[in-house]
Amino acid sequence: MTIVEMRLYIANNAPNSVRAIANLEAICKEHLKDNFKLEIIDVLEYPLRALADGILVTPSLAKMSPSPAAKIVGNLSDKRSVLHALGIPEPVE
Amino acid sequence: MKPDLRVLDGNPRRPDAGPGLSAHILRLVKSAPERRAIASGQVDAVIDPATGKAFLLPAAQQALREDGASVRGLLALASDWRWEQDESHRFVSHTGAASGSSGVFDESIIGKTLRDPPFDTMSEADWRAHQRLLEWRAAFRDLELGCTDRAGGMRSVSISGEPVFDAQDRFKGYRGTMRDITLRKQSEALAQKPLRLACDTLDALAVQLCVLDSAGNVILANKPAGAFAAGSRGIGAVVPVGDNYLAACDKARGSERKDGVAIAAGVRQVIAGDSPLFRHEYVCNSPAGRCQYSLTVTAYPGDGAARVVVSRENVTERKRAERIPGNVTGHKVAEGGPIANSLLAALPAKDYQGLLAGFELVTLTYGEVLFEPGEPIRHVYFPNDSLVSLLTTIEGHEALEVGLVGREGMIGISLVLGMDVSSVRALVQGAGTAMRMNAARFRRQFRKSLPLQGELYRYAHAMLVQARQTAACNRFHEVQGRLARWLLMTHDRARSDQFLLTQKFLADMLGVRRAGVTKAAGSLQQRKLISYSRGKIRMLDRQGLEAASCGCYEAVKSHQ
Repeated sequence: MTIVEMRLYIANNAPNSVRAIANLEAICKEHLKDNFKLEIIDVLEYPLRALADGILVTPSLAKMSPSPAAKIVGNLSDKRSVLHALGIPEPVE
Repeated sequence: MKPDLRVLDGNPRRPDAGPGLSAHILRLVKSAPERRAIASGQVDAVIDPATGKAFLLPAAQQALREDGASVRGLLALASDWRWEQDESHRFVSHTGAASGSSGVFDESIIGKTLRDPPFDTMSEADWRAHQRLLEWRAAFRDLELGCTDRAGGMRSVSISGEPVFDAQDRFKGYRGTMRDITLRKQSEALAQKPLRLACDTLDALAVQLCVLDSAGNVILANKPAGAFAAGSRGIGAVVPVGDNYLAACDKARGSERKDGVAIAAGVRQVIAGDSPLFRHEYVCNSPAGRCQYSLTVTAYPGDGAARVVVSRENVTERKRAERIPGNVTGHKVAEGGPIANSLLAALPAKDYQGLLAGFELVTLTYGEVLFEPGEPIRHVYFPNDSLVSLLTTIEGHEALEVGLVGREGMIGISLVLGMDVSSVRALVQGAGTAMRMNAARFRRQFRKSLPLQGELYRYAHAMLVQARQTAACNRFHEVQGRLARWLLMTHDRARSDQFLLTQKFLADMLGVRRAGVTKAAGSLQQRKLISYSRGKIRMLDRQGLEAASCGCYEAVKSHQ
């Protein structure tokens, strides 16, 4: 299985940022097992890194690889759109 | 100052700093998904590309404030001293290791703002940006300032602060921390020197540069690119940092569509690694008028987010200069300097100027056929340094040369005599440039200009003499004398002692078999008049060659 590389941009422990981390961790645990690399970037510390990646608001999740690159904004509570952005097929229910 | 916190979305628990902040955020954040996320309260912070800093939205600010007590304890460990300011941003207290009798500041700082001494070196723009944050009651982090310490030395400090509100949500001022970062700044300044040099160099380039990531987003642009971005549209515009270059190309419409598609395809190829380089030249409309650009896309060396570098140069001036006749051969025709073609050079300035607008400078390549017998003459040519043979073809035989035209003449002389169909094949046998004019325009100019008529009638007559003489010469004279004549004629017209000619070509020109040319050339070489090897003929002794040529050379020359 290919490794999914992601960057999550957050703002310190602001509520949506904390929520986004929790939501993403749950999704990764369930759907990606160990096949992912996640870097969490605090834009209050490293605003220029976010700008370099074209990120203007947090929380934002950027999928770096495999291509196509994708971006999703918000606290990642909408699991379907996160799976879609990460290119993970939705489980049949 | 009255707090401008107010409720925007009907949720009384989420204060907002008012329309100023909302409008600013709308300016920064343009994409629909991001705006939706903001509207639904899912966003904590926004980054302002102008200042390169993130600021917390009010809801996140408040949440962080609520769990601020424990954070403050930690902050005390990470900072040198703490401070408090009143509603007008004046210091009301400061405590910590760096203050007091041994520290950076003493009590004299009380009552001062960050704009007053001992603080300094904040530019007007930085100050305005900071003030905006203060007006929005936003938290600020790591504001770096220069200041003068108690002993009069220069120091650097990093200041972070957050607004303080009372239980009724009334703004009471700011409080925060300050760190002495003098040592860090000094070492950074040293480390940044080469980087700054590199950045300044990029900004000083005349070329517009931008760096794209794998998705085609612009992640860096140099100053000329930034300066150009303002006020341009279409593919003439530079795509600003943060926008997608490919999307901008795809959006090109009308006459720019084709170039937009080509550029996008080229950029994609280089991003994908299919090609290391892509070049494209195009014309587009800019505020300064029609501009010609040369665009180059190269792969970005190294790993990381950056994938390709797009450089773009405005080549309008250079292209224009190339089009000015004579520039290529080193003569400034427009300024009345020497003109390469002798027919044109003989014209009075007024008549020449009249022709100039209709001329285009073209490059003729070796072996190119300008017209075939029976074809309409679409253009006339005045060679600068090119050489063109006029050939007559007879069915069943190789073509035979009946005229040679260089900078002394013109190709398309039949037009002067009222015929607009060529009777000969015009074959380029010496590459170079020529001035070309469309036949219809030439006829109009010809009718208007008596001096031009005079020159061209005289030249038509000279060509007639040349053809007659050549016909007789080919029939009666030895190959060696004819070859010498031909070489002399070529030498007069080309501006070089050396020509590239194969034996086959010479045989066709002179209407003889190859063996005949080999023998004649061998004989001239033996007499040290020419050297000949692998198609390269070099003239060694012009006078000797004149003596060896048949009398036809002199006869033709005397009529020119």
